[in-house]
Amino acid sequence: MKIAKISGGASLADPTASAWASVESVTVPLQPVPLDAQPTSYIREAWAGRSYGKTAQASVAAATDGQKLYVRLSWKDDERPNKEFQDAVAAVFPDGGGALGTLGDAEKPVAVWFWENGRSGGNSLTSHGPGVVRKDPGSGLAAAGELAGGSWNVVFGGPLAAARSGRVGVAVWNGSNDERGGLAAVSRDWVSLEQA
Amino acid sequence: MSTNGTGTVSTGSGQLAWVFDLNKCIGCQTCSVACKVLWTRESGEEQQWWCSVNTQPGLGTPKGWESMGGGIDVATGKPRAGHQPTREEFGGGWDFNYYEVFYGGTAGKAHLEPQAPRENRWAMNWDEDQGAGEWPNSYYFYLPRICNHCTNPVCVSACPTGALVKQEDGLVLRDEDVCMGDRFCMEACPYKKIYFNYERHVAQQCIGCFPRIEAGVAPACVRQCPGRAVFIGRLSDEDSPVHKLVNEWKVALPMHAEYGTRPNVYYVPPMSPARLKEDMSIDTENPRIPNEYLESLFGPDVHTALGTLKSEMEKVRGGGKSEILSTLIAYHWTELLGPFTQDPAELTPVS
Ligand code: SF4
Ligand code: SF4
Repeated sequence: MKIAKISGGASLADPTASAWASVESVTVPLQPVPLDAQPTSYIREAWAGRSYGKTAQASVAAATDGQKLYVRLSWKDDERPNKEFQDAVAAVFPDGGGALGTLGDAEKPVAVWFWENGRSGGNSLTSHGPGVVRKDPGSGLAAAGELAGGSWNVVFGGPLAAARSGRVGVAVWNGSNDERGGLAAVSRDWVSLEQA
Repeated sequence: MSTNGTGTVSTGSGQLAWVFDLNKCIGCQTCSVACKVLWTRESGEEQQWWCSVNTQPGLGTPKGWESMGGGIDVATGKPRAGHQPTREEFGGGWDFNYYEVFYGGTAGKAHLEPQAPRENRWAMNWDEDQGAGEWPNSYYFYLPRICNHCTNPVCVSACPTGALVKQEDGLVLRDEDVCMGDRFCMEACPYKKIYFNYERHVAQQCIGCFPRIEAGVAPACVRQCPGRAVFIGRLSDEDSPVHKLVNEWKVALPMHAEYGTRPNVYYVPPMSPARLKEDMSIDTENPRIPNEYLESLFGPDVHTALGTLKSEMEKVRGGGKSEILSTLIAYHWTELLGPFTQDPAELTPVS
């Protein structure tokens, strides 16, 4: 997938901006983070009989204004109401060499740009496994999401250096199904990020 | 509350434990309010009552918490799935129709009531003084609850980020900078004593007043209790009333030990007068609070504990002396505070 070069980058931060219409996007299949990779015995026991990570697919697009990397993630919303947990999404980068399917592990982490509905901005995280995350403060990450026509569109705007690895993955949390931590649907493969 | 950056705070070593004497608790809520005023006054903490006092039998807080699962299966050692308590189950502070009642010209017609749909009305102490049983054998008692700072804290082991740590002094504390708000701890805790701050997106619970403990001051729930019903101390300290009541005399028992987390809050079970028979004669065989109910809370040892209390009382009535009763009476209130007798008024407050 090519990172589109767009001038006047400010509007790219807006998930509904018309600039995104001309940017190539790739649809990727998602799969649940395996139960046996979940980090605590409580989660493995409590979720043994519950399905999660069933969001089937998401689409990814990337653009830059030469200053920042913008990643736009879209997926279909599960409209069941849930007042406790919120829909969330992440762009995942292989910095640290970790595996995508488990969102890294103890030795090899992945870098995560995280957005959650109802909370302002984005969170830059280092993930050492499903839900095993640390916040990286002062990362200069921005994020905004918009629910339109039954689909979420979320845009992250962060340091261009994140594209250096040339790959990005996607993780989706369905808040309607109490998904959080490592209970996510993750893209099966990395998507290539090519400088235009 | 952040810890000191190393993930631990120091208040000395040895498991801290509380004893609540349910025969002395008058349900005044001074402990819960003292805690609230000290720790949960900020926006996002409105529904949080790290110390709560409920009328038993009752649904308590969060509503129906005893049926929410969680804890550890004692036979297998495995954690059990638990329910994530909702905002409605905790309930909240309500807006009331003050204007309508006081100024609306509705004298005799309108009465004060929360402005929320009837089915959603609940709060920390919503079923106060309801209790159970039929006149003349109706009954109830008060049950103060805090986080049990369990020896086997399933909240700690459920957390994927390592935000919760069991300290050297046995307190279970959360580093809020590490907490991601995933709330597996809330699901896993069988006592449902963890709250969620929807504004700051972190879970919160009783911190055992550790900054007070560090300064030698007893926790607010202990020091402020006008009923002299709450003791604190270290279980390993053989001179501590907590040690004596729990380990030596066995008149203070854990609640719902079957939840498998080995709680460190203990209760002196409530005694009650004899039942009245239908002809109003006294049924000396059966106490007003059914034994089965107390057993469901405090386990089979409750009968021995009540028996001990009863025989000690008889001893004193007969002119004898009872160290157990003297301890429970706490002739001087500082006896309740263990080693934490420092007067907070003599310290410089930190902001
Ligand atoms: S302050 Fe003491 S008497 Fe009052 S409710 Fe709390 S434990 Fe009971
Ligand atoms: S009472 Fe609940 S929150 Fe407190 S230590 Fe025990 S399991 Fe954890």
